[in-house]
Amino acid sequence: MNLIEKIMANKAGVNTVTAGDEITVTVDLTLSHDVTGPLAISQFDRIGVNRVFDVNKVVFIVDHNIPASTVEARRQHRILEEFCSRTGAQLFNRSEGVIHQVAFEKGLYSEGDIVVGADSHTCTAGALGALAIPVGSTDLAAVIALGSIDLEVPEVDAIIIDGPLAPGLSGKDLVLYLLAKFGTDSFTDRGIIFSGDTIMSLPLDDRLTICNMAIEMGAMTGLIAERESVGKVKRVYNFDAGDIEAMIACPSSPGNVKPVSEMDGTALSQVVVGSCTNGRFSDLKLVAEILKGRKIHKNLNMVIVPASKKIAGQMDDAGITAILRTAGAIIGNPGCGPCFGSHQGLVCENDVVLSTTNRNFPGRMGHKDAHVYLASPRVAAESAVMGCITRPGTVLPLEESSNG
Amino acid sequence: MDNILKGRVFLLGDNVDTDQILPGYAMSFSEDELGRYALAGSELNNFAEKVQPGDFIVAGRNFGCGSSREQAPLALKNAGIAAIVAVSYAMIFRRNAINIGLPVLCGDLVNNIKEGDLVEIAIPGGRIFVPAQDVNYKLEPLSKSAWDTIQAGGLINKVKKILADRGASD
Repeated sequence: MNLIEKIMANKAGVNTVTAGDEITVTVDLTLSHDVTGPLAISQFDRIGVNRVFDVNKVVFIVDHNIPASTVEARRQHRILEEFCSRTGAQLFNRSEGVIHQVAFEKGLYSEGDIVVGADSHTCTAGALGALAIPVGSTDLAAVIALGSIDLEVPEVDAIIIDGPLAPGLSGKDLVLYLLAKFGTDSFTDRGIIFSGDTIMSLPLDDRLTICNMAIEMGAMTGLIAERESVGKVKRVYNFDAGDIEAMIACPSSPGNVKPVSEMDGTALSQVVVGSCTNGRFSDLKLVAEILKGRKIHKNLNMVIVPASKKIAGQMDDAGITAILRTAGAIIGNPGCGPCFGSHQGLVCENDVVLSTTNRNFPGRMGHKDAHVYLASPRVAAESAVMGCITRPGTVLPLEESSNG
Repeated sequence: MDNILKGRVFLLGDNVDTDQILPGYAMSFSEDELGRYALAGSELNNFAEKVQPGDFIVAGRNFGCGSSREQAPLALKNAGIAAIVAVSYAMIFRRNAINIGLPVLCGDLVNNIKEGDLVEIAIPGGRIFVPAQDVNYKLEPLSKSAWDTIQAGGLINKVKKILADRGASD
């Protein structure tokens, strides 16, 4: 068996499983937020049970619209508050941060766990070796009632990357490189195990970014494992990290990826840094190193949204918040920010945006005729200074930065 | 025995993502309002005004890619869409559609069918008949578990039965 099959067999209480088996696995944690949670709750209430399977394992986080951006959004908060008060389920509603970052920081899951989340980026938890399954609201409602989920054991592929990554590159460039190779549906219904020297030696923040975007390749789940733990998989893809350069996803698909060098000089009107993909402390520390003593370009605005309250506190303590503000950036409260097109930095037709988030589908960040590019925090920060898409190392020489 | 559904076709291409099917700003609206925003972010102009109960969507590869929002298939269903035929689906969208009782079938028909064509779809067996061409095209049949869920009226009814059976055995 491979690692994904081993976890599934363990949680199904059987000795062995194989691809195509339909099994029922126990669930160690459920996650949901203010836009998928209310629908899950209304479905749960239709089931007609009055208690959740385990109050400590059912978690709701208000992260998409906080503070509420509309009256309807506020109603969704209230639905989560009422449900958690009624059932004892766990609620985080003080802008603790994006669900995936908060679950990681608070240690709500561990290696070998099965995490089911009503959010497609639940796969972020694969960076710690959890088997994280993204679902919709009705599937989540069923799990909250039953404590288990029916799954088909997927076929599993391995992506192995070896060799040193060039200076100035990060987990984001690596996963965008994979999206350039595989597109957005090569792994539909499949599991991916990432391994190899390059990935295992990256900082944890970068590994979270890689797993976060496994869903962009269409995968059911993605997780990171030591080479010797991968096990028997269907297909093995080997890559040399030396072939990777700074990458950027162009409008309007995360699979439309090119080297940054090909888009160099494209004028921008907004830069966004944040989200469950790249709003972590190491990302914002690097952005501050680039912006320190500099100003963002007069032709654009820059929106920075830390992925969690903890990160926002670390930024304050390290003087990063002040550096970013002085450079002219707008800093939002912790959460999803403008990533999913609801608030805190929406864009209009003809805006040209560079964002560190995970999706650039038409209309994702506001108007469907806006042009959104996806890249690393380093490319975002250097581009914010230059006013256009900019290669790493142009503003801050690569040897002068602490990471990425 | 197959059920025969009759309706008109709306045609879409590859990689229709969930932001196009139901934009993020509309996710806060209540379930019964979602139909009005169905495909509001797509290339189909005024879909929500044109669609009639019983209509179908025929699309290309990777339909429903992106977010886990169940509001996407729910918006299509509430707008009146009775079934979708696409070359392939993103996993979460496919699960969500089945869970709410919306049949999603696999077949490559984008080049064989025109927007507005009146067709008949047989489920769960998997067949689409185009009277204007007098041609039957084969679709992949729905899996047994998917058909069970749709016939039960969605996953919630299935869960009710599991819990009732558990209660009966206690």
